[in-house]
Amino acid sequence: MALLINKPEKISKDHYLLRFNIHGKIPLPGQFINIKINSGTDPLLRRPFSVFNYTDSITEIIVRSVGKGTKELVCAGCGEFDVIGPLGKGFTVLKNRKVLLAGGGVGNAPLYYLAKQLKEQKNHITFVCGFRSEEYVFCRDRYKSLADEFHLVTDNGSAGEKAYVTDKLAHLIGTDDYDMLYTCGPDAMMSKAVALSSKRIPVEVSVENYFGCGIGFCAGCTVDTLHGFKRGCADGPVFDGNELLWENI
Amino acid sequence: MDISVKIGSLVLKNPITVASGTAGYGEELSQFIDLSGLGAIFTKGLSLAPRKGNSGSRMIETPSGVLNSIGLENVGLKKFIDDKLPFLIKKGAVIIPNVAGHSEEENIELCRILSATEGIAAIELNVSCPNVDEGGMAFGIDLNIFTKLVEKVRRVTSCPLIIKLSPNVTDISLFAKRAEEIGADCISAVNTFLGMKIDVKRRQPHFLNRVAGLSGPAIRPLAIRSVFQIFEKVRIPVIGLGGISTLEDILEFIMAGAAAISIGTMTMVQPDLPIKLAEELINYFERENIKNISEIKGIAHKKNRRD
Ligand SMILES: Cc1cc2nc3c(=O)[nH]c(=O)nc-3n(C[C@H](O)[C@H](O)[C@H](O)COP(=O)(O)OP(=O)(O)OC[C@H]3O[C@@H](n4cnc5c(N)ncnc54)[C@H](O)[C@@H]3O)c2cc1C
Ligand SMILES: Cc1cc2nc3c(=O)[nH]c(=O)nc-3n(C[C@H](O)[C@H](O)[C@H](O)COP(=O)(O)O)c2cc1C
Ligand code: FES
Repeated sequence: MALLINKPEKISKDHYLLRFNIHGKIPLPGQFINIKINSGTDPLLRRPFSVFNYTDSITEIIVRSVGKGTKELVCAGCGEFDVIGPLGKGFTVLKNRKVLLAGGGVGNAPLYYLAKQLKEQKNHITFVCGFRSEEYVFCRDRYKSLADEFHLVTDNGSAGEKAYVTDKLAHLIGTDDYDMLYTCGPDAMMSKAVALSSKRIPVEVSVENYFGCGIGFCAGCTVDTLHGFKRGCADGPVFDGNELLWENI
Repeated sequence: MDISVKIGSLVLKNPITVASGTAGYGEELSQFIDLSGLGAIFTKGLSLAPRKGNSGSRMIETPSGVLNSIGLENVGLKKFIDDKLPFLIKKGAVIIPNVAGHSEEENIELCRILSATEGIAAIELNVSCPNVDEGGMAFGIDLNIFTKLVEKVRRVTSCPLIIKLSPNVTDISLFAKRAEEIGADCISAVNTFLGMKIDVKRRQPHFLNRVAGLSGPAIRPLAIRSVFQIFEKVRIPVIGLGGISTLEDILEFIMAGAAAISIGTMTMVQPDLPIKLAEELINYFERENIKNISEIKGIAHKKNRRD
């Protein structure tokens, strides 16, 4: 059980910040929580959301309102929620290295908690935060405060630089050396980011495919990899980007 | 109070089981519940060789239900026996593998080997998977093919044999009756209903396999009706399943004729539900002063409204 302690706070167009008090394990960056939207049978399945931030048993998530479940969730009042998690396999947190983080839209969410831990481990952080346009940008200052080098990009240039995340990545990877690229966002963006790293830089991606149970029971969430199908929820959601067969994702 | 259930020579300590395909091989589920507290666990449909399952989207939610097109992804017989079974035995689970071979020969071979394997309580023969091209549901919708398969499987299966029926037939009770005549010990009803989802943006079926299996609370009234019809025709026990999510749902199945029940889709949503419902069922029996499940099993058949 978890307690939603504030009403969902609108932080940009379609995006809301939700704060839950969850007693249990401390999440690892890249892990997710699985929320039952209501106590009835519609929506039936839980909805997975990446941990955006965690401090003192408060787990923050960012919810983009896209459909039935998320619409109901962002209109919720404070109170008890049936939440399972943290679940899944998270990112590898390096120490004393130079790392590159690249997020697209709501895919920036898991990278915040990751950046926080990377900073604690004294890594040099370059962060590319991408959004469609200014109205979708969320938590700009929070991201900026964690990065040693911060690049905000939008598709139309209405905030930050006018560029796609992958354009910016191509430039950065071409001019500097990094020990790891971490990325989360639309599949097309992630697959391009993996291609850009061209196996020189290790890449970790967080996939957000459709989950059934989210706990490894049903095999409904498979992603195709060099080593066969893997479960997005239990073997992921974080994978070695070079291990995934992007043409099948 | 006696809440045990007899399936041939097997005695389940209680009537609450978890269904095949929605509890994996119990490893993850055991992090949520004590598997030995269940009547039994039905593991994912098995083939001789490992199967990758279907490509593309495998699942999508529908109103109070789920369409799935997993395509029987499983670890194969060897890995099941070497890796999965020892864990379940250690946990004290009553283990019933679900057999889902692609040909008559494969099913016979699976049942022959499994029924001679230590730690297997019974076998559930799945003649009803809608998500594979060959075999699968074909065995469960043609009475002649069904008869041939069940006869052969019965001969090689030394442990209790449960036949899991497809609801995608005109009269499911004919299949139940035939299984009983051949000597099956028990019927599971039902597997998923054939369904479909069209992606209106892409103007094509959502699943690569086009059709998929519908489960969850959405199918419950259909499943209750199936169990009710089967109970009228057979004396062997029936395991009822399809959309169970509450105590009342369980009672509906029992009163329609089920001797035991399975929880499928709702285990995916709420992993501790099976154990919670087992406790609720015991409390109900105490409250209603019911000493044995047989006091209410099939009771809905006796009380005809017109009486
Ligand atoms: C590991 C993981 C982490 C995630 N983290 C976040 C997060 O931090 N913030 C966030 O807002 N969302 C996140 N998502 C996506 C989120 O779970 C879905 O957007 C949500 O489940 C949709 O529910 P719904 O009922 O609103 O949509 P539905 O009504 O079910 O569907 C509406 C539309 O959304 C699409 N959709 C449904 N599920 C997903 C999905 N899993 N991914 C992408 N599109 C989907 C459907 O195809 C449909 O077009 C994550 C998903 C995964 C698997
Ligand atoms: C994801 C999923 C996988 C399933 N896999 C199997 C299987 O391998 N073998 C089988 O006999 N039934 C399988 N089923 C069917 C269930 O065991 C059950 O018969 C059906 O879902 C109806 O019950 P429910 O509504 O409680 O889920 C599967 C169902 C789902 C949802
Ligand atoms: S969603 Fe069920 S196994 Fe991953």
